[in-house]
Amino acid sequence: MQQFPVKVEQPSANKPTGGNIFSRVFDELTTFCRSRSLFILHYCTGCGAIELPPAMTSRFDMERLGISPMVSPRQADILLITGYVSVKTLKRVILTYEQMGSPKYVIGICSCTVNGGMYWQSYATAKKLNDYMPVDLYIAGCMPRPEAVIAGLRQLMDKIAAGEANGWQDYYRRYDYYLGHQQRLFGETWQTPTDVIAESKHYDLFGGDTLGAHTALLQQHQKPLEALEMRLGLTDRQEKGS
Amino acid sequence: MHWAELLAELTLMPLVAFIVGLFMVLMMRKIGARLQRRIGPPLLQPLYDIVKLFGKHTQTSHGLLHEFGIVMAVGGYVAAETLLPVPGMNGIAEKGGMITLLYLTMIPSLGLALGVGQCANPNGSIGISRALTAMLAYDIPFVIVIAGVAMHFGTTNLVDVVAQQQAGGIETWGATQMPLLALAGLFALQGMLGKQPFEIYVAPAEIATGPMVEMGGKFLGGLFVMQCFQLYTASVLYVTLFLGGGENWVSFLAKSFAVLVLPISVAFLFPRYRTEDVLTMLWKWPVILGLLGLVFVGS
Repeated sequence: MQQFPVKVEQPSANKPTGGNIFSRVFDELTTFCRSRSLFILHYCTGCGAIELPPAMTSRFDMERLGISPMVSPRQADILLITGYVSVKTLKRVILTYEQMGSPKYVIGICSCTVNGGMYWQSYATAKKLNDYMPVDLYIAGCMPRPEAVIAGLRQLMDKIAAGEANGWQDYYRRYDYYLGHQQRLFGETWQTPTDVIAESKHYDLFGGDTLGAHTALLQQHQKPLEALEMRLGLTDRQEKGS
Repeated sequence: MHWAELLAELTLMPLVAFIVGLFMVLMMRKIGARLQRRIGPPLLQPLYDIVKLFGKHTQTSHGLLHEFGIVMAVGGYVAAETLLPVPGMNGIAEKGGMITLLYLTMIPSLGLALGVGQCANPNGSIGISRALTAMLAYDIPFVIVIAGVAMHFGTTNLVDVVAQQQAGGIETWGATQMPLLALAGLFALQGMLGKQPFEIYVAPAEIATGPMVEMGGKFLGGLFVMQCFQLYTASVLYVTLFLGGGENWVSFLAKSFAVLVLPISVAFLFPRYRTEDVLTMLWKWPVILGLLGLVFVGS
């Protein structure tokens, strides 16, 4: 069986230890508020999505834990992947993930995100979500009941309060690993609008594993992003069609 | 008035407004939860949200106007708070008056339009164009209501308006004297709060929260702060014009929170109108009510 490399985070390196007491109190407060206020962006690709409405509405009521749904990646803290991700949707998931603001967390719901589940033999699905982006928490089951979803979210809240939910830092530290898996699926010319390497330097998370053979390939193929053309009125094709 | 006293009032009034506004947001979310038979958020949830948003590591800015727009959105309301008399503090209410307040409550929407414009997100542009249309819709009845109240009390000075209403007890309240205008004011209040059924510009499932679509981190945090001020301003303005202002802090807060219960309950029970229906609705019924009220005030 193939062994996947697992990197153990050193918690001491992540915790900002401010010199004066006020900054430490403020950091503690921010960490607490982060754990008590979670905005979810749910990417409902599969059948697991059906378990979320009961978890949000009157029976289980996520809002009493401070968890509320949001609709835009800019606003969200948690990316909730509910079910299998096909190769095509995985591209969108990665684009969404990279647009979210740090600190961000990924939760994989259902067996399909853990190991492919019942789509293990499918040619079109990505099997392990953890290969393409750092997953903070898996909620296994086919499908997990709302109780399990709430229990998982509570576990994530505890992890955040303890300062252990640092998957987003792992994406910057080991970008080469994740990019390698993305390139294996999407081809060598895969690129996203986000400059992850520059961001890793910005957050001071640039490490030995950020760059590697895969990022070299990316830089070889990378085309600079161009702004979309701003235009009023119909394009030629629309005019011909009408 | 001594300048130090004035300075203290100008600092305290927005601060009090923010704290009261936090509880108004909490009340709004609690009422929504209770109507949907849920428990709802804990006591300090609005504060947790704001602290978390300001504490995000990533603050995606789309340019100077994006940041300036949020400052304008919050700043417009902060300026408006200093013009709203509260028990014991008048700030610069005597120098400002209703007309200035009317202008200041429009600044946040315009600031938001500037900020959203810089984001260049099509959902945001659609959202803000709808928001400005909605503003145009509720401003007509709002202006009629303001004009009627000013005619009735013979002044645009909010401190005088409050004093006149408190002089004769409940019989001299704006709501008792001008019930039609008070009713039209409720429509305008619903529009000002931007709640259902006049909430098409947010429409989360259609245009991804419209103006807020590109806002993350401190920008969304700023908008959450703005929401606190928005609820406070709208309810306190209504209390000042129609419910006799506040004799003391207890009655003032009780009235301000009670005023919000109706629009918020309506908001969670009804779906939203389309933009053209918002215009038709707000330019027809509250305007008819308001004009009728004006006739009674004038006669």
